[in-house]
Amino acid sequence: MPELREVPNEGPPFLGTWRRVYIGILIYLAAIIVVFYVFTRAYR
Amino acid sequence: MRPLDWIVLVTTLCSIVAYGLYRSRGSNTVDRYLLAGKTMPWYAMALSIMATQASAITFISTTGQAYADGMRFVQFYFGLPLAMVVICSTVVPVFHRTKVYTAYEYLEQRFDSKTRVLGSLIFLLQRGLSAGMTIYAPAIVLSAILQWPERTTTSLMGAVVVTYTVLGGIKAVTWSDVQQMCVIFLGLVIALVTVLVLLPSSVSFGDAVYLAGAAGRLNAVTTTFQWSDRFNIWSGLLGGTFLFLSYFGCDQSQVQRYLTGKSIAQSKLSLLFNAVAKIPMQFFILFIGAMVFVFYLFIQPPLLFQQAELLRIQNRPEFAAIQQQYDRAYAHRRDAALALAQERRSGDGAAEARSKAEYRAAEKEFDEARTQAQSLVSAAGGEKGFTDTNYIFLTFVTRFLPVGIVGLVIAVIFAATMSASSGEINSLATVTVVDLYRRFVKRGASDHHYLVASRWATLFWGVYAVAFAGIAGRLGSLIVAVNKVGSLFYGTLLGCFVLAFGFRRVRGTATFIGMLVGEAAILSTAQFTDVSWLWYNPIGCAVVVVTALLVTALSPGGASSAIPETQRAG
Repeated sequence: MPELREVPNEGPPFLGTWRRVYIGILIYLAAIIVVFYVFTRAYR
Repeated sequence: MRPLDWIVLVTTLCSIVAYGLYRSRGSNTVDRYLLAGKTMPWYAMALSIMATQASAITFISTTGQAYADGMRFVQFYFGLPLAMVVICSTVVPVFHRTKVYTAYEYLEQRFDSKTRVLGSLIFLLQRGLSAGMTIYAPAIVLSAILQWPERTTTSLMGAVVVTYTVLGGIKAVTWSDVQQMCVIFLGLVIALVTVLVLLPSSVSFGDAVYLAGAAGRLNAVTTTFQWSDRFNIWSGLLGGTFLFLSYFGCDQSQVQRYLTGKSIAQSKLSLLFNAVAKIPMQFFILFIGAMVFVFYLFIQPPLLFQQAELLRIQNRPEFAAIQQQYDRAYAHRRDAALALAQERRSGDGAAEARSKAEYRAAEKEFDEARTQAQSLVSAAGGEKGFTDTNYIFLTFVTRFLPVGIVGLVIAVIFAATMSASSGEINSLATVTVVDLYRRFVKRGASDHHYLVASRWATLFWGVYAVAFAGIAGRLGSLIVAVNKVGSLFYGTLLGCFVLAFGFRRVRGTATFIGMLVGEAAILSTAQFTDVSWLWYNPIGCAVVVVTALLVTALSPGGASSAIPETQRAG
């Protein structure tokens, strides 16, 4: 079985660093939970 | 199904298979067959990951769940972005740098061969059982709705999946998944638009959302905590995170998708796309179910959506009284819903509150009649704890959607089954060949030999999945146990990988003992407590880690090992 080729490790295409991308994802999660909570309250 | 529906269904399925096979040409070496030669772009991996996770029962069951219980199931996915961030920052770079074909191959590099074998066997057992269920579960629903024999449905889906998976390998699987997800998105959008168009002209979109909310069907976030409750914000954030860490970090059916990436960044992007897109997608599917609920406020639904069970109870002496109560409750609920929609528009707050109370009382009365019918099924010798939620959406589709669209939605169900099943079969074959056959049976053979072995292993697991689906109906209540099988094993695997990535001092024997104790802890929890299955993963993971750390601390010289730079996270 051939050894797999080395793949490059690039930066993200946006926000500069992966750390910032991960923080962006966590902010997105918090925002979506808030939106769903407001949605639930509004139509309860 | 009318001729146009058949044309849409057959054309859609044929084009998916043909496109997958066309894109898979050149898969003539084992690294291309199993990992696409590490050439895949992020968007193809992203859609393949999404397609592999979303089985047909996800669409059938999720919409039915929103109809019956509301949208709180969406909270199950709150842990997904957290898990994806952890996996992208730890697991993905290490798996790429160590050049492994499978997640369990890494376990031998980090620990030893027995830990690798145990991890591989746990995966084969757990994924092997679910591979049959992936085909069987939608087949029973499709067969009941379309009046097709179960064997025909399972054989048809199985034959198509096995053909393109054996011939094209992971490239065929991935590119077919891409097309399948496009069909699934298209089908879902058309289903939602159609259900809104079918609402009475006096009911606006705003009214529909309001009526669904007033009946408790838009409960996307619930904050109350109970150990036995699967879907609240806490079980979603904590239990869901552990489940998705296990699924995307330790399950080869997912790991293999992102190992095909042409760079580490592309693999990360494919996972992060899912972190962002999955929650809105599930919300959308649940919203369709909530709108189907509103549709059935104005068109009387059958007492039970599963026709066979309805026939079973029709000769029972209690049936006539339940049906009468149900008819009355339906008329009461319909009138109350129309009155509430009217009061809402009038702007009279007090009258609206009165109408809402009346509507909720009517809804309760309606639910009680249905619950009585469901209990009657159990009393008449049917399944204990019978529910018909899996039949709600497809009953709606086949009875009310226009010709052509029915064929498209049935194609969505087929596409979802095929995408989930092909990913499972492909990964089962990979683990069989890489972790067992190449490691213990035939070492150092030619590339061509392993390519042929991979094709045979794929064929074996495909035939096995179809055969298991064929006998699944005879397993009776075991089916329920099989559905939970993923959670029975994921915690152990996750604990093993947490030790691999997070605890440099822990060695193979300690991990192996930890896995055995962890598995025993999960099985005991499932057998002797009523703790929801979503909590099995954190419990199992914690027991594995604590046990391995204790064994390491108690063993002489256990603290002296270090792991190579390539195997470190970061």
